[in-house]
Amino acid sequence: MTPVATARQGKRSLRASGVRFVLFLLRARAILVLVLLVLMFSLLAPEFLTANNLAILTKHVSITAILAIGTTFVILAGGIDLSVGSVAGLGGMIAGLLITQGMVINGVTHYPSAFAAVLAALATCLAVGLLNGWMVAKAGVAPFIATLGTLYVARGAALLVSNGKTFPNLAGQAARANTGFTALGQSFFAGLPLPVWMMLALYAIAAFIADRTPLGRQVYAIGGNERAARLAGIRITRVKLFTYLVSAFCAALVGLIIAAQLEAAHPATGESFELNAIAAVVLGGTSLMGGRGSVTGSLIGAFVIGVLADGLVMLGVSEFWQMVIKGTVIVLAVAIDQLQSRIQARFLPMLLEEQTTEGA
Amino acid sequence: MKPQGESVMLEAREITRRYPGTVALKSVNFRVYRNRVNVLIGENGAGKSTLMRILAGVEHADEGELLLEGRRIDLRSPRDAAREGIGIVHQELSILPNLDIAENIFAGREPTRAGVVLDRATEVTRSEAALRRLRHPMNVGTPADQLSLGRRQVVEVARAIDQNAKILILDEPTSALSNAETESLFKVIAELKRAGVTIIYISHRLHELLHIGEFFTVLRSGRVVGEATRAEVSRQWIVERMSGRSESNDIAAAVQSGPELLRVRGLELAASSAGEDSQSPLHDVGFTLNKGEILGIYGLLGSGRTELLEALAGVRARLAGEISLNGDLLRLQSAPDAVKAGIFLVPEDRQRDGLFPELSIRENITLGAWRGFLVDRADQEAQARGLVAELRIAAKDLELPVTTLSGGNQQKVLIARCLMRSPVLLLLDEPARGVDVGAKAEIYAILRRLANQEIGVVFTSSEIEETRILADRVLVLCQGCISAELSRAELSDEALFAAASPVVAASAAQSMGDMHA
Repeated sequence: MTPVATARQGKRSLRASGVRFVLFLLRARAILVLVLLVLMFSLLAPEFLTANNLAILTKHVSITAILAIGTTFVILAGGIDLSVGSVAGLGGMIAGLLITQGMVINGVTHYPSAFAAVLAALATCLAVGLLNGWMVAKAGVAPFIATLGTLYVARGAALLVSNGKTFPNLAGQAARANTGFTALGQSFFAGLPLPVWMMLALYAIAAFIADRTPLGRQVYAIGGNERAARLAGIRITRVKLFTYLVSAFCAALVGLIIAAQLEAAHPATGESFELNAIAAVVLGGTSLMGGRGSVTGSLIGAFVIGVLADGLVMLGVSEFWQMVIKGTVIVLAVAIDQLQSRIQARFLPMLLEEQTTEGA
Repeated sequence: MKPQGESVMLEAREITRRYPGTVALKSVNFRVYRNRVNVLIGENGAGKSTLMRILAGVEHADEGELLLEGRRIDLRSPRDAAREGIGIVHQELSILPNLDIAENIFAGREPTRAGVVLDRATEVTRSEAALRRLRHPMNVGTPADQLSLGRRQVVEVARAIDQNAKILILDEPTSALSNAETESLFKVIAELKRAGVTIIYISHRLHELLHIGEFFTVLRSGRVVGEATRAEVSRQWIVERMSGRSESNDIAAAVQSGPELLRVRGLELAASSAGEDSQSPLHDVGFTLNKGEILGIYGLLGSGRTELLEALAGVRARLAGEISLNGDLLRLQSAPDAVKAGIFLVPEDRQRDGLFPELSIRENITLGAWRGFLVDRADQEAQARGLVAELRIAAKDLELPVTTLSGGNQQKVLIARCLMRSPVLLLLDEPARGVDVGAKAEIYAILRRLANQEIGVVFTSSEIEETRILADRVLVLCQGCISAELSRAELSDEALFAAASPVVAASAAQSMGDMHA
């Protein structure tokens, strides 16, 4: 090889590694943004990086994160679930009803155990998830419309449960043998609040399903090209049903956790939570078109939203400005996402070329 | 009428399939011979794809039965078909762009360990083995959206191979492939035949069918109208069976070409790419078009032919270059600028870029001509009717959705839309793509008539035959540059092919030199 050619190739590979570095930064942007935010708030607000504050922060984040983990599957498969906030509200109300009012059977009021109340709430929410999945996968209703419908239906149902009132005193009564519900939101385990453990467990399971099982692979396949997935013999209906069930399950958990934390079930709980969940998913790099993204990204996205909210409060930024900043961050995230795919497509031929010359 | 010494692998007996309003297949009998290339031919809408979808378990016959090696089989899903050893490469590439090669090969049938965890190692080794069998080794971790169309097709074939397909259906596999990619696909088919696989092959390209086919079955309007072996088949035979009429190639040659209509000078286009929409660059492209003349632009996939037309139509921003029409320098910044100047483009992919599938035939024809606040419906309807008659668009009712038309008639609808607005220059990107032989000839005749009416006609094509039949003069594009300009007299398959492909161009020059020496 002549010196000129070697020099040219050296220059090119230098340029390629530069491109690769930029692409790496863009791909890792969610975690970079998170680190930057933490650094910034630690400098500006000394009390930010204290154990106490981080515990509170993580507890807040767990709510958004659990919702986002569930929503990730729906979005990866090319759908959307707008109903999660309402479903969370409905779940809390069902548990609240059973714990404080009991069930009247043959004129006698029975009080189910806290555990049974939780199961009933989960079952109700899964039914909503099943309805979402059926409408989208079987009846062919657009996901946006189907889940917009259940957003209203579930919220209406939550209000109907108590006629709009709050159920207080969810601690239960020893006499009724239905205590223990509040542990769901208030107990600690190995120094961390239970909701944080639930978030971590859900994350581990969800990431495992997404990355390591056929089901997860098929979720990606459907989001990538539904027609092709069908022709490949993937059972579209089943997989889509699964995504909406996961989403509803996570929403139900969130509703129960909030009710347990507050020791009260309020029918307006979870309003606009769906938007937080979607924002976290998008911040984490998952494409709203489906097929691209990760559960890990959604977890990071939830932390970005949580840290941003928490830090801005500490700095005394007004709530109105917080909303402006949050919106800006979300739009920027998506814009950078577009930039990344454009850069990638632009420099891909070069990177591939280099790969082949390296191989030769 | 079973040929001597051949055994029937798969037989479809008395298959009938009805759709609302039409019968797609009427008592069709289709025999597939073992270890042969069985060709199925027919115009668009003849029922070929429906029959293949039934054989692949995607659709179900209303009547009739399928016999595999004499045994009756019942295919309820693509999974059932795969289990019986029937694999299919669908007409529209059905690749999952966000997954890698191995993941695509195993989509919907992922191997697992302990029934739970994906077994990536098995996926990788088996994918590599399948690709090796096809003599197309690739890095199986490459995302599918980084593959060329030809390689995507190989991945689909590999999927069928890994499922131990005994019968492989290829439904119009070459419609999106370049000549080189087609050649390589034929090698794959030969390889499969050697391994004992039975092939069912569907295509519109007659020369291909005659090249690789061994048994021929012709479908017309849902019925089998001919069966023959290669020895009995000729081009004439196929065309007559397919269309029910004999082929006529002669498009009246151009009348005396008139004064200059279009002049393009120094056109430059930057290479850019954003995923699917990757664009080939153009360098210093210049040419003229005279009134009454049809100019063909021949080039392979990625040669820049589509980009050239789109630059003329104002859809793509150009870096440099002048475009003048009737002597006036045009300021083309956007598609509306081009339309104002009377330049109209009939795009390559009419489903994606041309038609409004929800709208009626009439609306699809007239919607470009809506201007002002109120639409004079009666007037437009009359105009649309006139065009439908003139272009012989086979439509029962203009209020039906445009999707009820066949591909050829849909293409005519797009031409009619341009004609509604009295075009000065008509640009057609692959004017007869996915159109059957009969409609092709009609479209060519229409374009000739328009040229005779002094409307400028520029078309691109990747088919040598089409270019030869239609063009008065041909520009050959190769990697964004004009590599040759050929008059009708100079036009030959060899000349076109040599100028279009960079590798062949070099070796052709070489062999020419040898001949002279």
